[in-house]
Amino acid sequence: MTAPSIPRHLRFGVITLVIGFVITLGLFVDVVGRIQSMVQQKEPEGNPFTPPAAPLYEQTDPPMTVKLFFPGMQEDLILSGEDQTIRRSAELANRARQILQKLLEGPKTAGLYPSLPKDTKLQEVFIDGMGLAYVDFSSPISANHPGGMLNEQATVYSIVNSLTYNLPEIRQVKILVGGAEKETLAGHCLLLPLGMDLSITNVAPPKDPVDHAD
Amino acid sequence: MSHFKRTGPPLGQSSIRLHEVMKRFAPLFLLILTAAALLYTRQMSAADTDFLIYFENSTLALKSQTVDRVIYLPLQEIVRHMGLAFTDATGLMTFTIQGQNSRLVLTPGSGFISFNDQPVLLQNPIRRDGGQWLVPLDFLSQGLSRVAALEFRYRAGSRRVFAGKVTTTELAMNAQSLGVLTRLTLRAGAAIEVDLQKETAQHRAIVTLKGKAIDPARERLDYKDALVQSVAFDDSDGSPRLVVAIADDVRDIRVSSSEGNRVYFVDFIRELGEAAPAAGPTAVAPAARPANIANAAGGIRVIAIDAGHGGIESGATNSGTLEKDLTLALARRLRTALQSRLSATVVLTRESDVALTNEARAAVANNNQANLFISLHTGYSLEKTASGSSIYVMKGDFTGGVGEPEGGRLFFPWYMAYRISAPASQAMAQQLQQNLKQALPGWKFPIRHAPIGVLASATMPSVAIEIGNFNNDASVKTLADTEFQTKLASAIAAGIEQFAVAHAGGRK
Repeated sequence: MTAPSIPRHLRFGVITLVIGFVITLGLFVDVVGRIQSMVQQKEPEGNPFTPPAAPLYEQTDPPMTVKLFFPGMQEDLILSGEDQTIRRSAELANRARQILQKLLEGPKTAGLYPSLPKDTKLQEVFIDGMGLAYVDFSSPISANHPGGMLNEQATVYSIVNSLTYNLPEIRQVKILVGGAEKETLAGHCLLLPLGMDLSITNVAPPKDPVDHAD
Repeated sequence: MSHFKRTGPPLGQSSIRLHEVMKRFAPLFLLILTAAALLYTRQMSAADTDFLIYFENSTLALKSQTVDRVIYLPLQEIVRHMGLAFTDATGLMTFTIQGQNSRLVLTPGSGFISFNDQPVLLQNPIRRDGGQWLVPLDFLSQGLSRVAALEFRYRAGSRRVFAGKVTTTELAMNAQSLGVLTRLTLRAGAAIEVDLQKETAQHRAIVTLKGKAIDPARERLDYKDALVQSVAFDDSDGSPRLVVAIADDVRDIRVSSSEGNRVYFVDFIRELGEAAPAAGPTAVAPAARPANIANAAGGIRVIAIDAGHGGIESGATNSGTLEKDLTLALARRLRTALQSRLSATVVLTRESDVALTNEARAAVANNNQANLFISLHTGYSLEKTASGSSIYVMKGDFTGGVGEPEGGRLFFPWYMAYRISAPASQAMAQQLQQNLKQALPGWKFPIRHAPIGVLASATMPSVAIEIGNFNNDASVKTLADTEFQTKLASAIAAGIEQFAVAHAGGRK
């Protein structure tokens, strides 16, 4: 069929429709693209503004023996103590960081197990004036956790006990996961501000609580 | 062929075709119209009286009208019912109500009413429609209460007004499917009497409520399941009742009361097929057991069982065996075992493979007023050879003695709800430990205390049982064994029964 046989008003109508369709399609593609880019936008890995890590202790700081708590079943006990050495740094938070770093490295004694799941990193430690320590771990502490109440209790209290036993200034520990509050570690154990619990360990209460006061 | 070329008949013919189509379908249109009209008029007549005023000695049912989203009531009927003197001066277009030493004058189309020649402004104007005087609701409290020396109480959204010294009984209702039955829970502010009539032909049950001026929190319940289709409150004729539309499957309806007739449970029980002879609390024969056990365990009405994990949250895994599947299988077996021992209702937090939060699990137990709560999990120990099993009780003081004001707290955060039943939880754990050790020689079930999420906000005696070691292939095989599961369920059920007998009354 040739063009002249098409009525003029129809031709205009069709052209308008086609233009309208093209514009709508363009807008649609644009909107879909925007939505996709929003959905696929990834969280930046790690904090890009992390200041250069300051040393956790000076070479002149005296050594300090600490008791770390690792899972290792002895009858009905869940955690066993293991002595390790850190440096008594001036800042309380730095001593806490050293203890947690040792905890992440795992036990030296045979028969004891690492308390933290693999790939877990310590992100931040903050201690408020009331003796509550906020300890922020990267998300693998939760995601890579094998689960189970017993296991979660072991992980949580290895952190809580290791800090509160060795640093009497810390009375409670609040564990954060990936920089945020989480209800439970992996479904079972509540991550509220928790105090020391030695009843699940083979360790006696510390004799002199002011032993480590500076 | 071009798409632009018209191939059909000329334009004029298409309109003729439209006529033909209309002619053909005219009867159908008419039919639909008639049906719609019929339905509409039926609805009109059904809503003959839809508003109630409760007086001290009588109840007045009225037909309200809604104009501009404002509810209007016919004034003459109210005034006549109250026995007040009035003059309807059609010439002056005023309506005058005479009280003792007081006078109220109304004019149509105006929000101003005159009380003893003082103007009172209503939020909405008085209306006069075909000789009928219509007053907005606030006229009752702003105008009529002055001249009649009577107080009117109205709750926004409700269809009833309470006058004077009428004491109201608030009524809250809630329905929940408990598997084989659907439980409708009625909670009244004061003791009421309940009367049940089953109208099988109409597929409904009428629950007549006898009490003082019943004021329901909601007119109808947003609830529907296989047994109960709808629950609606109806007092349009002055006698309050609940109309429950039920399915054919409902074989039996049982009413039980508690808390001095302030709480009623109406259980709609499903027709039991031949496939499920032992399911449901009605299938057990409590008469067959010693009377003392049946009585002593009577305090345990509802037991909530939580199958750990579910949905995307698989829990522990061991070469294809998932914790969430095992816990659900075990929960079902435990339900059967409990129902054959106790005449209590057994509620599962989940019946299928769905993920639930810890709060939601505890909420199932709390909302069903469960007397016991058992959460089932499988264990996982880092040591392959460890037994892994434990019985968990919520840890009493996990704060390390910090942040606890002297003399206790006035208000508890909700995660401390467990404190209400902490000693009973410990006693139940000890009983279960004893029964499990007896039934499974060589197994250890140490009682441990930890801040367990699922137990924190449960208000009744509650424990979590972790069974086996998912880090040990042999242990997983044992757990998946149906015979072992039955044995385990039976041991837990026996423990619960003995605990129920020892702690008659449940909540302690």
